[in-house]
Amino acid sequence: MIGKDKLFSTFEKVVKTSRADETEIVYIGEDNGLTRFANSTIHQNVNESNARILIRTIIGKKIGVAATNSISLNNLKATLRNSFEIAKYQKDNEHFPGLPGPADYTDINTFFESTSRFSPKDRARYVKKVFVRANRRKFTTAGSFATGDGEIAVFNSKGVRCYQPMTIANLGIIAMSDNSSGYSVGLSRKVEDIDPAALADVAVDKAFKSKKPKALEAGDYEVILEPAAVAAFFEWIAFIGFGSKAFIDKTSFLSDNIGKKLMDDAVTIYDDANDTGGIAMPFDFEGVPRKKVTFVEKGIGRGVVFDCTTGHREGVDSTGHALTADEQGEGAMPLNIFIEPGNKTKEEMIASVKKGILVTRFHYINGYIDTPRAVLTGMTRDGTFLIEDGKIKHGIKNLRFTDSLLRAFSDVKGISKDRGLIPPWWGSVGCICMPTMHLGSFKFTGTTDF
Amino acid sequence: MKDKLGNVLDWLKSKGVDYADCRYVNTEAESLRVTNGVVDTLSRNSSIGVGIRVLHNGAWGFASIASTKEGDLKKAANKGLQTARASAMAKKENVRLAEQEAFHDRYNTPCEKDPFDVPTSDKIGLLLEISDRLAVDSKIKTAEASMDFFKTNKIFCSTEGAEIEQDIIESGGGFSATAYDGSQVQKRSYPNSHRGDFATRGYEFIEEMNFLDHVDSVREEAMQLLSADDCPDTEKDIIICGSQMALQVHESCGHPSELDRVLGTEISLAGGSFMQIKGLNDLKYGSDIVNIYADATIPGALGSFGYDDEGVRAQRSPIVKNGLHVGYLTSRETAPVIGQKSNGTMRADGWNRIPLIRMTNINLEPGEWELDDLIADTDDGIFFDMNKVWSIDDKRLNFQFGVECAWEIKNGKLGRMFKNPLYTGMTPKFWNSCDAICNKNHWRVWGVPNCGKGEPMQTARVAHGASPTRFRKVKVGVSK
Repeated sequence: MIGKDKLFSTFEKVVKTSRADETEIVYIGEDNGLTRFANSTIHQNVNESNARILIRTIIGKKIGVAATNSISLNNLKATLRNSFEIAKYQKDNEHFPGLPGPADYTDINTFFESTSRFSPKDRARYVKKVFVRANRRKFTTAGSFATGDGEIAVFNSKGVRCYQPMTIANLGIIAMSDNSSGYSVGLSRKVEDIDPAALADVAVDKAFKSKKPKALEAGDYEVILEPAAVAAFFEWIAFIGFGSKAFIDKTSFLSDNIGKKLMDDAVTIYDDANDTGGIAMPFDFEGVPRKKVTFVEKGIGRGVVFDCTTGHREGVDSTGHALTADEQGEGAMPLNIFIEPGNKTKEEMIASVKKGILVTRFHYINGYIDTPRAVLTGMTRDGTFLIEDGKIKHGIKNLRFTDSLLRAFSDVKGISKDRGLIPPWWGSVGCICMPTMHLGSFKFTGTTDF
Repeated sequence: MKDKLGNVLDWLKSKGVDYADCRYVNTEAESLRVTNGVVDTLSRNSSIGVGIRVLHNGAWGFASIASTKEGDLKKAANKGLQTARASAMAKKENVRLAEQEAFHDRYNTPCEKDPFDVPTSDKIGLLLEISDRLAVDSKIKTAEASMDFFKTNKIFCSTEGAEIEQDIIESGGGFSATAYDGSQVQKRSYPNSHRGDFATRGYEFIEEMNFLDHVDSVREEAMQLLSADDCPDTEKDIIICGSQMALQVHESCGHPSELDRVLGTEISLAGGSFMQIKGLNDLKYGSDIVNIYADATIPGALGSFGYDDEGVRAQRSPIVKNGLHVGYLTSRETAPVIGQKSNGTMRADGWNRIPLIRMTNINLEPGEWELDDLIADTDDGIFFDMNKVWSIDDKRLNFQFGVECAWEIKNGKLGRMFKNPLYTGMTPKFWNSCDAICNKNHWRVWGVPNCGKGEPMQTARVAHGASPTRFRKVKVGVSK
């Protein structure tokens, strides 16, 4: 960790030398460790100490971006020159409104010393607990346990000075027998929130209950989707539905549907990066405070997220969802997605199902089939069960689904009051916080052998 | 740099490690994209650092650092050593490495025009011209054109005495037009979807793709798709184009033949494999005409290199021979499990990540058919062109692919266009239904620049040689 004062004083020296009209420096530093295990032994154990420093220079409406991973003053000045040279070659971007000025952002504690200090030996001790717990019931385990700290700083020539230190801990476990598997995951900024024994028990229990799975024909079924399964939808929907590029390009299901009924009244979906119940991060990579944005409210399409450029293009303010300058061609993206909880328990929802399927999670979803209808396809994985007469009957072999999220979310029979935090692919700056959902109809279109 | 790496390795030897290696990697990347006449991406990224892998007391540790100072490298080496000690707390048995000659060598990508020497204005000028010409019709909502370039210098040294330096240049580009009619969206791309085609070559690769010759057809087909019929839900004989075959090979043969997946060490993220060791030389993976092999020595192919990141020389090795599963992609740690030496597929996506088994160039050998003859030989089928959707289960059995565009084949002739085409199947049944593969005139190596694997996630640039191929009685059109 370098710290706010040293980072800002270094950046001050760099920006003072800039010949550009406006200059921005974004620093993302990380010191991460990850212990990976399989067959109940550690097989990879890695540490990474790295940084990305992105310098964006603006000449008129021409934008240049250059990045380095060295914080040395000479290197930063060379990167600034590189960025400036790139900007000179650029064409005007009429949509760019200029860099944002300073604004207050929420004071949130996202750094915990206990997580920062967690060592490879500490991770090995946690992982051994998982092995012991699973071995007792004769299951093997695979998974990964990541801990780390980092800091993000945004500094620009118009006075933006944002700094946030952070930590992250994430343990994912798959318990396995010869013919079944079960999954559990824990995610927090505070490592003491991760309980390896409890998570191992959840994974083992699912693997135990899904032993000797039976084949079930593909078809239209009532489903109970656990948080990890629902979250897998939204890793894709964040990109193809809730981002500003998809909205502007008319590929999002929200593009021409703001104010229209799209889903069941029970469904409210939003992004809230200031909610400390998630993995909070109070500003974006342009230094704009993150606002709460509602995508779907009681089933009605409401809006998407914007950065400065796409917001200006659409005549609205940035919502504080900019990506880093080198990724801004992709538009703004939500990184902290929530579904509003309901009032049921998972058990109550299962008890209400005559015949249906309980899904722990999905694998390898793809959302490019028909984005205006939000059609997704993917496989079930690590704990799929038949429900009959309100009870989990037995494990079933995995199924492929192909369905429109809009159609599936138009018949919601229940939403749990508890939600689970699921780690998304975009890492420690966000999360997907989902309840368990009971859908009246979901299309499974294929089967597999296990 | 080699001296510094040597000093670190000497220090690790003095600590009694079983084995260690150091990789210095210096990467420059340039990314350019024009969207609807606006240059929305123009960036250069540099990354320099060293990754140190330590095997101590039979267990692995790895540490990486964004520095080349000797003091920092020794700190990272010590962290790698301490991490190996932590791993040993929960090991079942000692890691054993296959024997390997310690090479002293140097390798360079064949490159006629260094893409980093080509003026930025020339690259942007070409992308803007493509974007402008794609967008001449108002139904084209998004016209995108992009290029990406990478230049990597890496030095590998090991406690066994290896000392290998490689300079690798990678270039790629492509474009797409997205048409919109108020309710539906359709897209066509050239020369491939997902940012185009890539190779370990210089800017000459971009020039040889003749982008401007294909702009009009991409725009027109994107608009034609808006009024095309939906792909029917049925069972058909299908012919799959070369670029989609590349992804078919990637997902249903490349990944499941990675021996680390087979041994279970990728289960936590990507999953396992149906190509189990008990099926080696026994599993009938495909029909007799199916021959698939790994070859990291193809000049200019995206998955080519001189040595992998364990210092193993690039090589060719069979995976499927006459339909029979005969081989895997291996590493020094996994190869001894099947009584072999590594066939050189360990690669990391930078100095900061540990090497994993990655595809190189995994190729389907060409057959004997001319494409026109193959179409003429098909009474009732569909021709599938260019990837849009990919999904496969965690043992690589049940897959579902969608493509940008398809054409009906009736009585040996291409007919009407279909939109939203999908096909689905089970890997061995599908490959056993393969009855015709086009010849070398239609065979081409396609670069895949975005293969994800591992935790933390790593992106590998790999490739697949393939030509149009026919499969019998495949389930198609399952999007409704």
